Amino acid sequence: MTLNSFIKGALSAAAITMAGSFAYAQQAGGSLVFLVQPEPPTMAGYVSTSGPIGLLGPKIYDGLVDYDNDGKMVPMLAESVDVSADGKTITFNLRKGVTWHDGEAFTSEDVQFTIMDVLKKVHPRGPNSFKEVSSIDTPDDHTAVFNLDNPAPYMLRALSSYESPMVPKHHLEGQDVKTAKLANNPIGTGPFKFVEWKKGQYMRLDKNENYWREGRPYLDRIVGRFVPDASTRAAAMEKGEVLYAAYNAVSNVEAVRLNKEKDNIGLTTDGYSMINPMALIEFNTKEGPFTDAAVRRAISTAIDRQYMIDTIFFGYGKPATSALSSNFSATGLHAEMPNYPANGDVAAANKILDDAGYSKDANGVRMKATFDLIPYGEDWKRGGQYIQQVLGEIGIKVDLRYEDVPTWLKRIYHNYDFEMNLNYFYQLSDPVLGVHRHYGTNMIRKGTHFVNSSRYSNAELDALLSAGMTTPDATKRAEIYLDIQKILANDMPVVNLFELEFLVVYNTKLKGAYGSAMGAYASFGDAYLD
Amino acid sequence: MEDFWKRFSRNRQAVLGLIILSIVIFVAAIANIIYPGDPFLYSKFPLSAPGENGFLLGSDSIGRDVASGIAHGAKTSLLIGLIATLAAVFIGVIFGAFAGYYGGIVDDILMRVTEVFQTIPSFIFAILLVAIMKPSIESVVIAITVVSWPAVARLVRGEFLGLKNREFVQACHTLGMSDIRIMLAEILPNCLSPIIVIGSLMVATAILIESGLAFLGLGDPNVMSWGFIISDGRSMLRVAWWICTFPGIAILITVLAINLVGEGLNDALNPRLRERN
Repeated sequence: MTLNSFIKGALSAAAITMAGSFAYAQQAGGSLVFLVQPEPPTMAGYVSTSGPIGLLGPKIYDGLVDYDNDGKMVPMLAESVDVSADGKTITFNLRKGVTWHDGEAFTSEDVQFTIMDVLKKVHPRGPNSFKEVSSIDTPDDHTAVFNLDNPAPYMLRALSSYESPMVPKHHLEGQDVKTAKLANNPIGTGPFKFVEWKKGQYMRLDKNENYWREGRPYLDRIVGRFVPDASTRAAAMEKGEVLYAAYNAVSNVEAVRLNKEKDNIGLTTDGYSMINPMALIEFNTKEGPFTDAAVRRAISTAIDRQYMIDTIFFGYGKPATSALSSNFSATGLHAEMPNYPANGDVAAANKILDDAGYSKDANGVRMKATFDLIPYGEDWKRGGQYIQQVLGEIGIKVDLRYEDVPTWLKRIYHNYDFEMNLNYFYQLSDPVLGVHRHYGTNMIRKGTHFVNSSRYSNAELDALLSAGMTTPDATKRAEIYLDIQKILANDMPVVNLFELEFLVVYNTKLKGAYGSAMGAYASFGDAYLD
Repeated sequence: MEDFWKRFSRNRQAVLGLIILSIVIFVAAIANIIYPGDPFLYSKFPLSAPGENGFLLGSDSIGRDVASGIAHGAKTSLLIGLIATLAAVFIGVIFGAFAGYYGGIVDDILMRVTEVFQTIPSFIFAILLVAIMKPSIESVVIAITVVSWPAVARLVRGEFLGLKNREFVQACHTLGMSDIRIMLAEILPNCLSPIIVIGSLMVATAILIESGLAFLGLGDPNVMSWGFIISDGRSMLRVAWWICTFPGIAILITVLAINLVGEGLNDALNPRLRERN
């Protein structure tokens, strides 16, 4: 009952905010050119959560709801949400008169298909988010009733257009969702229509004239530019060729400089609160040199997390202290664990390896490995070079490997052809959504990106993860996650490095693009040029 | 030899080039003594300006010493230049010698193969080769060799064509010497000087190609080179100019010095110029 009224309250509050913003006549027209780094592999945001897809996808696809900067729900395709008293029936009242970009009507069947046949099956996080959804009834075209096996409050935090985009049934039904043509010719209900994708250069989206929100979007066009070179990106921002850059597209060092030197360039760390990014190293726990948890613990112990934050990310970030981000302290789930020293302890790490029986040879080398680096820019390359040095100090000689995005994704998530991999994951707004996928046995899913590529499997942990998912009581839940963090601080199939604080660099000419908790992953329907 | 040195030293610029090159070789040779340890080693002093915190030429974003990188990078650049050139000369001489000596169908086949390689722009071809193979020091050397040998082949073929009908070669035929022996022992020594000249210039080109590849991120990520430092520092050019500037200067003067030496060798070894003087 409380849940129900809470959501209703949130929705009506959001409706008032929206009505308020109508009062001001924003300037319509103009093109927004912004940086997308790197180029997305496809536009199938319903299959892959690869970061760059999120920068463009939510402009094309809508979600059922959005979230404002305070985390409150904002109605999108769902005008309102009713949660039954037992939390097991959730009714979405869908907006009327919404059409897909190809002219077909958007109905509750699309919602049913998207959740049951797409997100629950092929999305990296969908199987967790919608685990409890056993069926969806469609009594009429504008009502979708979710039937849940157990209450799943976290599900209502996973309904944004980035996390759970609503996709057209008539373009995917009867096809292999993973290879359907829609991936490169997206058709959504969002404020902008896909027009053109010039590979290696840009993607162009034009205003959806039939968008369901009266008078939106303001912009005539959005162009996402792909600029592989970091200094060219910074120069484009400086010259005003591009007006917006998020997720390190402009490196922190340049962002800080531009903000200082130019009056018309601003910085914010807003827009990442639902994302909760964590830098980490994934290990292959099945083959190669890192099958032994002691080695992984030694690596976690050796790395100076604070140094990486200070030098590579210019102070934006926070050392990890557990498998869970400290942002989960708000819900009491985070607890500090051993084996995550903020400043690194090479001597202790050497001792762990000595005790585990890995002796150094004449050159001081205990073992050799290849270290893959996430191909998302030079910051990560430098991070890899630093870690390479530290591992050298504890007798682990690693060679670095830096490939293009598709090759790298294939290597890590399709072929498991790696030993250790520098990466970052989004822990999102609840561990069920963002953290379980690293560790659950059910999340070892070949070919699905950003899940349990370590192939770590622990029955005891699986049981705790299930309990964490279905236990509504906050105190009991905190106890469960304490146990989870203890196991993970010992086994460390993934070594968390630090909580990233991403920046948004923007030109002050661009307004209205900052109201969503999804930040750069929002629709930009309210964005306009001054 | 004395005669050769006299002719070489008559070209002042060549002597200057030789001095600079010697300094670079010297620095490369003593890199491990003046900067012992790994040039990739980070420090707690990122982005120090030249002179600060004991960094002669400053430090980069994770506190690596730029001067140490340049010293160790000199070794990499010179070694790659040398090995790739030797390999290219070896392949080029074989192709050129057979084509020029035998002529006819052998010449046709070998020269068509050479032309296939020559029609592809060399730097683009090198990028392609390194991208297909995994970026590593071996693949960079192979790529440079593959794009460099055709020039040698054409030169050697021309020389062999000119020499094979000379009287001393015909005399060798009459004496019953084998073809291989004639090629190796009689003709090749007579066309050595242009090969040395083109080889010396190729070392400079090889260094430039290696730097270019590293600059584009296609160098061996585990080996320090000048191109690597520039590529790493480029995104910080506005806040830390020294990271790119010093290795850039190193490349500039080394390539210039090698070119000057090449000119000097040309003056000293080319018999026609000798007569003119």
